Amino acid sequence: MTHDRLRGAFTGLAIGDAAGWPSGRHRFGLLAPWTRRLARELDLFAEEHRVTSLPVPFALNQPVAPLALGPSDDAEWLAWTARTIGRDRAAAFTDLAGRDDVRARISVRTALDHLRKGTGPPVSGHDNPHHFDDAAAVRAVAFGAAHRGAPEAAARAAEADAQVTNALDGVAAARAVAAATAAAVGGADAEAAVAAAVAELPADTAIGAAARAAQALPGDDPFALVPALEEVCADHVYSYGTAAADTVPAALALTRASAGRLGAAVPAAACLAPLADSLPALTGALTGALTGYAAQPEAWRERARRLAGCCLPELAGLDLLAVADELAAATGHHDEGVS
Amino acid sequence: MTDPHTRRDRARGALLGLAAGDALGRPAENLDPAEIARRWGRLTELETGPDGVAAGTDDTEYSVFAALLLAEHGHGLTADHVVAAYRAHVLTIDGPMRGAGFSELGTAQALRRGLAPPLTGRAHHHGWSDGLAMRAAPYGVFAAGDPAEAARLVAVDGSVSQSGEGVLGGRAVAAGVAAAMTGADTGAVADAALGAVPADSWTGRSLRAALAVAAAHGGPGEAFTRDLHEAVVVAHYPWTDLAPEAVGLAFAAYAVSGGRVEDAVVTAANLGRDADTTAAIAGALAGAGAGEGGVPQRWRDAIGPVRGTCLPAVAGRHVRDTADLLVPPVAEPGART
Repeated sequence: MTHDRLRGAFTGLAIGDAAGWPSGRHRFGLLAPWTRRLARELDLFAEEHRVTSLPVPFALNQPVAPLALGPSDDAEWLAWTARTIGRDRAAAFTDLAGRDDVRARISVRTALDHLRKGTGPPVSGHDNPHHFDDAAAVRAVAFGAAHRGAPEAAARAAEADAQVTNALDGVAAARAVAAATAAAVGGADAEAAVAAAVAELPADTAIGAAARAAQALPGDDPFALVPALEEVCADHVYSYGTAAADTVPAALALTRASAGRLGAAVPAAACLAPLADSLPALTGALTGALTGYAAQPEAWRERARRLAGCCLPELAGLDLLAVADELAAATGHHDEGVS
Repeated sequence: MTDPHTRRDRARGALLGLAAGDALGRPAENLDPAEIARRWGRLTELETGPDGVAAGTDDTEYSVFAALLLAEHGHGLTADHVVAAYRAHVLTIDGPMRGAGFSELGTAQALRRGLAPPLTGRAHHHGWSDGLAMRAAPYGVFAAGDPAEAARLVAVDGSVSQSGEGVLGGRAVAAGVAAAMTGADTGAVADAALGAVPADSWTGRSLRAALAVAAAHGGPGEAFTRDLHEAVVVAHYPWTDLAPEAVGLAFAAYAVSGGRVEDAVVTAANLGRDADTTAAIAGALAGAGAGEGGVPQRWRDAIGPVRGTCLPAVAGRHVRDTADLLVPPVAEPGART
């Protein structure tokens, strides 16, 4: 069961990543720059001509394959984390500093600038305008999988990684996601996994207050929960939707409401458009672990497992399921009952 | 403490310097130094309307807002007082909050959702914004000579609207102005600011890095601008209202100019980024030290009553009169005391 759940966390994250509308924007980055420039001009055209036909990622004299439904940034950063998990985290990130072909969240871009100048964690994550984003929370799925059944150890390992790129709510979020993933992969039910996460979020922080408010929302239908979750978790003031205090509480609420059913939780997550860059991925990781790999829809699993290389070009074509299996094998000493 | 006349003169200098910086930096906000140079060569003149008056922005209007809070509550200012003022004068604004920064709107939204401080300053994602630093000068004017008290008071205000580094940015500016109000030199003013923030903070590190760049250069110029940007500006973030960055830029401009108002304000404005706020802070620090006469006459002439564009509640207030509310009354010749 444990191995199926570990695989499920990885493919679940990738399914959620693929399901959110921003994945198409990220994958668009694989097309030629002039094609993307034309897309920006179409945005302006829609504005200037007052037409409600909004442009979507398109190809002109370009291959269309990158624009097909598939995973993007979150799945790639999870794969990168799993493959470097035995290394000192600052050293692993420093290998990316100074490269001009990497795409990453603002927190990670800023941390790489710090590392390039010789400043490491925790300053690289703290003196950072997006210290509060969920980049580390996404990576934390790898630490939860590695320390399956041991939420506290998972949270500690995720914190060491999170401090390179994040601070405060961004680090607490990583601890929470790692703890929930470790519990879920280790066999816990949805309620216990969510409780393990909420326990990592102090009540007097923005993320802790939002998590408790989101958990208090009544109902066990994730789709029906969407409007109330939007009120609690999306403030519509800030210009980016990846703040951990928004996405992680929403992911935990959808995980609880769905009782861990990926097929119910991820579509609801994708409906929260302002949070759809990472909320579906985080929700997919948690419910994917609880649902397991075998019970996930096969068509989605097959679409989601092949990485595109839109953030880390060297990962193009990589099979995320193989990465999950490698992590399971490399950290096998944690397992008692691998199936 | 200095005599009442001098204190009032410095108070006026601080807020006139702030208003002049706000107005000078306004058209340069969010531009990079190269673009500023392309447009103006060196930006030195306030943009005035047909009436000869230069419009300020949120920096000036929210500073007047803070000054009125202080005039009413003084050392007894509480977070509840600040919340009540937001409810009376900010939440009542119909439609768009023109000219306001993200932290003000985020705070208003948090209050509307029923949150209380300090969660109101944590629940939005611009807790580190320079929205407190931009209105921190009146706290330093009020608590002249007492940087610790200035920092304490501005943090009360900040507990409603900011968190973390946003509060620290306000503390640094308030403490610096409080020291400058005694006529302290730029080094002592910088020390007061550093003393008001933890050494292990982004604001502390940014201030030290910025002051080191200022010390390494004899004056402003291309090399100073390049080194300062490399030291404190966040390269991959589109918004410029980061308090640690803005405070670093403002103190470096002030220090490299030897505390002269015109040089400090012009230097800060031409650094770009959140230019109206950084120039306002540099102007407040320098103006507090130099007094009203230290602010160029042509700039003083262009500062009129604020228009209330951002905050209708302060429309018609002149920063010079507002400054007088923050200092002990001065016995006028011939008046009985």
